[in-house]
Amino acid sequence: MANMVMASSKNLLPSLHPQPPTPKPHLPIPTQTQTQTPLSFPSLKSAALTAAIALSPVSAAMAAEMEKAALFDFNLTLPSIAAEFLLLMVALDKTYFTPLGKFMDERDASIREKLGDVKDTSSEVKQMEEQAAAIMRAARAEVSAALNQMKKETSVEVEAKLAEGRKKVEAELEEALAALERQKEETIAALDSQIAALSDEIVKKVLPV
Amino acid sequence: MNVILCSSNMLKGLYDISGVEVGQHLYWQIGGFQVHAQVLITSWVVIAILLGSVTVAVRNPQTIPTNGQNFFEYVLEFIRDLSKTQIGEEYGPWVPFIGTMFLFIFVSNWSGALLPWKLIELPHGELAAPTNDINTTVALALPTSVAYFYAGLTKKGLGYFGKYIQPTPILLPINILEDFTKPLSLSFRLFGNILADELVVVVLVSLVPLVVPIPVMFLGLFTSGIQALIFATLAAAYIGESMEGHH
Repeated sequence: MANMVMASSKNLLPSLHPQPPTPKPHLPIPTQTQTQTPLSFPSLKSAALTAAIALSPVSAAMAAEMEKAALFDFNLTLPSIAAEFLLLMVALDKTYFTPLGKFMDERDASIREKLGDVKDTSSEVKQMEEQAAAIMRAARAEVSAALNQMKKETSVEVEAKLAEGRKKVEAELEEALAALERQKEETIAALDSQIAALSDEIVKKVLPV
Repeated sequence: MNVILCSSNMLKGLYDISGVEVGQHLYWQIGGFQVHAQVLITSWVVIAILLGSVTVAVRNPQTIPTNGQNFFEYVLEFIRDLSKTQIGEEYGPWVPFIGTMFLFIFVSNWSGALLPWKLIELPHGELAAPTNDINTTVALALPTSVAYFYAGLTKKGLGYFGKYIQPTPILLPINILEDFTKPLSLSFRLFGNILADELVVVVLVSLVPLVVPIPVMFLGLFTSGIQALIFATLAAAYIGESMEGHH
C-alpha cells in the first residue's frame, strides 16, 4: 500500500519482467518455497521491493500495476479543470448569480416600498379614526346640550302651568270661602231675628200679662 | 524473506478483495499531454448538473418563488451571507467566485457519495468525485491565490505588498511563506478529506457489505458538505483579508 502512495515508485520499480500491464490479474498465489534471493540488501524496503519483483509473476504484475498508481500525479488535468472552473463561474454568473440576485434585490426593494406605503396609510387611518372620534364627541355634546335645553324649557312650561292651576284653585277656594262666610253671616242674622221673636214669644207665654 | 513474501501476498489479497483503486487513472492523450479522463468526465457531469438545475429553476423567476426557485434563492442568500461575513461590504463582485467555488466543490463531493458511478466500468481506474484528485483541488486552490492577489492589488495598488512587513519586517519570511501555505493547505485539506472519506466507505463496504457502512456514508456526506463550506469560507476570508486596510 505504501508504494502506491509514492509517486516516485515509477523509478523504484523497473519492470524486470516485461508483461502486458493487465489491470487486475487473478493469478494463483504462489507457494512460499521460491525464496532463494540472498539477503544482501542494505535496507528492508529495497529488499521487499526486489523480492516482490523477483519472486513471482503475481508480484511482478502487482508491481506493474502499482507502477501506474500515482496519487500526486500532476498533468494537463489541472489546467483543464481550472479552465472548466472559470467557464463554470462565468456561466453561473450569467444564468444564476446576476439575474436571480438582481431579481431578488428588486423584489426586496418593491416589498420595502409597499411596506412603507402601508405604514403611511396606517397613519392616515389613525388620523381618520381621531377625526371620527372628534365628530362623535361633538355630536354627543350637541345632543346633550339640546337635551338639557329641552328639559329646561319643558320644566319652565310645566311650572307655569302648575302656578296657573294653583292660582285658579286658590281663587276658587277663596270665593268658596267667602260664599261660605256670607252664608254663615246670613244664617246667623236669620238666627238672631228668630231668636228675638222666639224669646218674645217665650216671654209672652211665660209672663202672663 | 518468508515474512516479506507473506506480507506481500497478504497485501495483494487485501488489494484484490477490497477492490480499492487508489491512484489509478484512466489516461487520455491530448496533444502530447496526459489527462485523467475519469476526473474530466465526472467534472463534466457535475457542471452539467449545476448548469441544468440552475437554468431549469431560475429560467423564469416568480415574485412568489416556487420550489426550485425557492431553493436556489436560499442558496444564493447563503452564499451572499457567507461572502458578506468574510469580505465585508464590498462583497458584491466576489459572489460568483465564492459561489461557484462552493457549489462546484459541494456537488462534486456529494456526487462521489450519491451518484452510482461504479455502474460505469472504465478500462482503467474508476469514476469518483472529481475532488478526490489532487489536480482538481490544486486547480481550485490556485485561482483562489490569484483572486486574493487581484483583490488586494486592485484595492490598494502596490501598497498591497506593504502587508508583508506588517506588523514588523521580521515577519517578512513568514508572510511570504503564507502565500505558499494557503493554496497548499486548501488543496490538500480538500483532497485528503474526500479521498480518505471515499476510501473508508469502500473499505468498509468490502468488509461488511450491509448496514454497517451506512453511518459512515452519512458521515461522509456531512464531511463533504463541511469541506465545501470550509473551502469557500477560507477563499472568501483570504480575499477579505487582502482587501481590508492594515492597521
